[in-house]
Amino acid sequence: MADFSWTPVSPLQAALKPGRLGEKSGPAGLKLTELTGFSLMQVQARRGRWAETEAAAQGLFGVSAPANPAAVEGSGATLVWSGPQQFLALFPAGYGADWEKRLADAFAGSASLSDQTGGRAMIRIQGARARDMLAKVCSVDLHPRAFATGAAAATSVDHTGVNLWRRADDAEGAVFDLIVFSTFAGSLWHTLVDHAAEFGVEAGRHPA
Amino acid sequence: MSSHRTASGGLIDRGHSLRFSFDGESMTGQAGDTLASALIANGVKLVGRSFKYHRPRGIFTAGSEEPNALVELRSGGRREPNTRATTIELFDGLEATSQNRWPSLKHDFLSINQLASPIFVAGFYYKTFMWPAKLWESFYEPMIRRAAGLGRAAETADPDHYEKAWAHCDVVIAGSGPAGLTAALAAGRAGARVILCEEDFVLGGRLNADGGEIDGKPAREWVAAAEAELRGMPDVRIMTRTTLTGVFDGGVYSALERVNDHVAVPPEHQPRQRLWRIVAKRAVVAAGALERPIAFSGNDTPGVMLASAVRTYVNRFAALPAKRLVLFTNNDDGWKTVDAVLSAGGQVAAVVDARPAVSDAHRALAGKGQFAILHGGIVDVSGGAGGVRRVKAALTGGAVAEVEADGVAVSGGWNPAVGLTSYHRGRPAWREDIAAFVPGALPPGMIVAGSANGAFSLGACLREGFAAGSQAAADAGHGAAAGNVPAAADEPYSLAPMWHVKGKHKAFVDFQNDVTVSDVALAQREGFESVEHLKRYTTLGMATDQGKTSNVVGLAVMAELTGKGIAETGTTIYRPPYVPTAIGALAGHHRDENFHSVRLPHSHHWAEEQGAVFVDTGLWKRAQWYPKKGEKDWLESVTREVKAVRSGVGFCDVSTLGKIDVRGPDAGAFLDRVYINTFSTLGVGKARYGIMLREDGIVYDDGTTSRLAEDHYFLTTTTAKAGLVMQHLEFCRQVLFPELDVQLATVTDQWAQFSIAGPKTRDLLRELVDPSEDLSNEGFPFMAAREVLLRGGLKARLFRISFSGEMAFEISVPGRYGDAMARNLMIAGKAFGVTPYGTEALGVMRIEKGHVAGPELNGTTTAGDLGLGKMMSTKKDYIGRAMAGREALVAPDRQVVVGVKPVDKGRRLRSGAHLLPKDASPSPQTDQGYVTSVCYSPMLEQWIGLGLVARGRERHGEIVTAYDPLRSETYEVELCDNVFYDPEGGRQRG
Repeated sequence: MADFSWTPVSPLQAALKPGRLGEKSGPAGLKLTELTGFSLMQVQARRGRWAETEAAAQGLFGVSAPANPAAVEGSGATLVWSGPQQFLALFPAGYGADWEKRLADAFAGSASLSDQTGGRAMIRIQGARARDMLAKVCSVDLHPRAFATGAAAATSVDHTGVNLWRRADDAEGAVFDLIVFSTFAGSLWHTLVDHAAEFGVEAGRHPA
Repeated sequence: MSSHRTASGGLIDRGHSLRFSFDGESMTGQAGDTLASALIANGVKLVGRSFKYHRPRGIFTAGSEEPNALVELRSGGRREPNTRATTIELFDGLEATSQNRWPSLKHDFLSINQLASPIFVAGFYYKTFMWPAKLWESFYEPMIRRAAGLGRAAETADPDHYEKAWAHCDVVIAGSGPAGLTAALAAGRAGARVILCEEDFVLGGRLNADGGEIDGKPAREWVAAAEAELRGMPDVRIMTRTTLTGVFDGGVYSALERVNDHVAVPPEHQPRQRLWRIVAKRAVVAAGALERPIAFSGNDTPGVMLASAVRTYVNRFAALPAKRLVLFTNNDDGWKTVDAVLSAGGQVAAVVDARPAVSDAHRALAGKGQFAILHGGIVDVSGGAGGVRRVKAALTGGAVAEVEADGVAVSGGWNPAVGLTSYHRGRPAWREDIAAFVPGALPPGMIVAGSANGAFSLGACLREGFAAGSQAAADAGHGAAAGNVPAAADEPYSLAPMWHVKGKHKAFVDFQNDVTVSDVALAQREGFESVEHLKRYTTLGMATDQGKTSNVVGLAVMAELTGKGIAETGTTIYRPPYVPTAIGALAGHHRDENFHSVRLPHSHHWAEEQGAVFVDTGLWKRAQWYPKKGEKDWLESVTREVKAVRSGVGFCDVSTLGKIDVRGPDAGAFLDRVYINTFSTLGVGKARYGIMLREDGIVYDDGTTSRLAEDHYFLTTTTAKAGLVMQHLEFCRQVLFPELDVQLATVTDQWAQFSIAGPKTRDLLRELVDPSEDLSNEGFPFMAAREVLLRGGLKARLFRISFSGEMAFEISVPGRYGDAMARNLMIAGKAFGVTPYGTEALGVMRIEKGHVAGPELNGTTTAGDLGLGKMMSTKKDYIGRAMAGREALVAPDRQVVVGVKPVDKGRRLRSGAHLLPKDASPSPQTDQGYVTSVCYSPMLEQWIGLGLVARGRERHGEIVTAYDPLRSETYEVELCDNVFYDPEGGRQRG
């Protein structure tokens, strides 16, 4: 009776072919990267307990939980607004049982927690043409004046529900992160690559 | 250079020749040409045959309003009918073909229709093909379709790609003529985010054709400077080849960008067209004006053209439409054509001016050009397929003059392009001084400027544009615009309205639909006076040009006939899109495999490796069965899978069921209100089957819900209703029961869930689950649910629930381990012959067990109908309870779930067959229900089914007639208990 191995498989395992996709000439207009290895906890304040939820978040992450559509960088986690009095706590490096327990203890009585680590895929969209590609699939105004660094939206990309937020720009331009339901992820990936093809895409995968 | 190309001037690139063909004849044009201008430069006059009479037609305009010059562009899958030669940018290798002619454009057989033209009048089809009615489909319609009509659609799929995109701005501007450019400059300088849409491939609008001076500079220089300034503004986006086509609620505008219509084949990865949805705080419509013709006998002869179009061809494209031209005008603007033609080396044969007098300047021009000014109107044009040969004019006072000419330029004045301003049902208003409709009540947030507003002078266009841009930017929250309004002259525009001239022959109002002045008169005589009736009766204003050159003339003729004023006669309703839009552009990326998104269960790629056949279930792809080598059809595979489960063990991915975390102190109370049965009393570690009703008492959804902690339930829904149930529960939580402290989270994707079923299930699980877990009947009884540790260290949730009627568990692990779970189930079950099974086998086993599913939970059945009435609690209130008690929903003769077996054991059952009393003849009165679900039962070795039958539960054993009109079958079936297999349920509890 051998032990069984439990190898996690990314929802983008089959869809994502790393390397240059679409237009081959010139520098790639954008990068599409699957970010792996993260953990994700949905935190929903219990009735009338938003203040306590915020305080618990402050204690754990050293930042205020987002009360409006925004993504807040805390220590160890990014807190992404996901609805009124609720947010997603994204742990880029993942969390183990100890973190699950710390979260459960910290939010005991103030918020309901649902682990979503297995239910989402995360994709980073960055580069000079990131906005041009997103304009084809997303109705949100992502102009820097309208969607500042740290802005977030619970919206849809090509009719698929996502949480989308803007990180600080890097040397090549804007950086957006999105998380999507994992069973939609392959389909969404193809959609993003199709719409990015004319700009040239560098596709990859690395740990969040 | 080509025969009609002028020696110099124009915005064409004389160094860059392009080869193209028209009806197979090879020709040459220049970069910067349109197909129309290149044809004109090559001396081509005849480009098409008309819709109804097959009359020879030429190029009439120089823009998207073109009614005549429609061609088939490209070939094969890219063949596009009814494209306007006037808007097609010439490219090397362009292929165009004329339409609606046979065997050739010059010798068109159906031009004999002209001889029969007295009968092809308005309402002809309605009047002629009424009897016998049965001939309509078989004879009349095919015949008419062959004879009339325009181009042919491609016969293969369009190989090109289309897409859609969103854009956001403070100010969207339609048109880049003098008003649009100044609006963009003003708004851009104020710091607004601006989108400037220009239909053409160059900016400038009429400035490219009519020139003029702005701020003391030639207009083209001013345009170039304005464009350079705008391109230097990071928040101004200039979109050429882009037509603003619609105005919708909430400041949303549609625009069609012809990204690659100007090349033979779009570059790889690029779309042909892109449909934009532009969200703007303000819109400035600077769409200009469209010149209108005057109707006269023979006015459709090739070579008769709008005066402004003549100037466009001469000045912008350096192509002379006629070498000896007659101008027919009723206004000063038309006279600009004389200058243009003379400067380009053409001759003016005469100017026919409808007004009694002209200015000294115009008389001087006539002296210089050595032509006569004839006061009156054109009454006939001689010519034919070869173009205009002679023009006859009736002069004021009764004399008649005849002039040799090869072209006629006609100007009846200008109509502001009011389309975009009218899409919110604002009716245009009539302005007597310019004899034209101007924008009336505007959509919210829209400002109109320049010619589109009835301000025709260049100076006025610049002033209005700048003011509109400033205003729009200010309204959008920006400061004042910098700089001065560019200045230009306010040239006079004196006009004497004239709509048509009486003559002996056909005078066309709508060239595209072959509607004449006499058709309008006939419509009036027959009572179709309202402009909307006029449109439907005569087809005036329909098709690709939507009457852009004909509507106002048509309703003016009607107004004259009825004696009502034009203002009172009014316009038809304007509707988007402003220009024809390909269905491909509306579909965008969503075609073929991209028609909708696809959801893949976590074990999908493993199932693919196993060779599974997949079925689309909503967005999901689910494994339907797993064929094995040598199996001849699906039934053999499914039967094998069912037998393997019932005799050993099998598993099936059931991750597509909706899964919802219900948490909070009031989670139990909440579920009591949404389910008909009670969940607050469910012990932690237990699962229960539940049913939800709609408010009207009909069953909404079902599923098992488990209590995993005091304040945590894990609720499952059917695959089909997952999203709807989540919506319903959120509505209950937020709106109906806000006092309850409960939180909902969708976890459908979080958990990969598998059903493991069959008598050897426990054997398999003992391989997989850590030995410390007690899986015995006592340690893990039927309907227990709890977390277990798996070998290898992963935690899973285990539920002892059964849909198949076998000893069964469902096991769930976080989604990313779903693939590993499928592989490990195969390893753990190897010794027991584990068999993966698909949705077909799942369905067979549920029918054998008599479980209801989608076909029975079909929006018409109550819990009682489904045999689950006892689950309806009488001790609490819940959604649907009151309405479920309605008389009709508890009537004893309701159709309820029963089993159905064919009397002839060898017969196949089909769902959908209606059930009648034995030997009754089928009628609505004898109909007692129908078969909802059927399968071949491997255990009973015959077809079985479920049905909904009136008083069915009292009728077990009765033989009834099954009547299937779709398949023309009538046969006998026996009604029976719906549980066919293991009615005592011992197998699932054992």
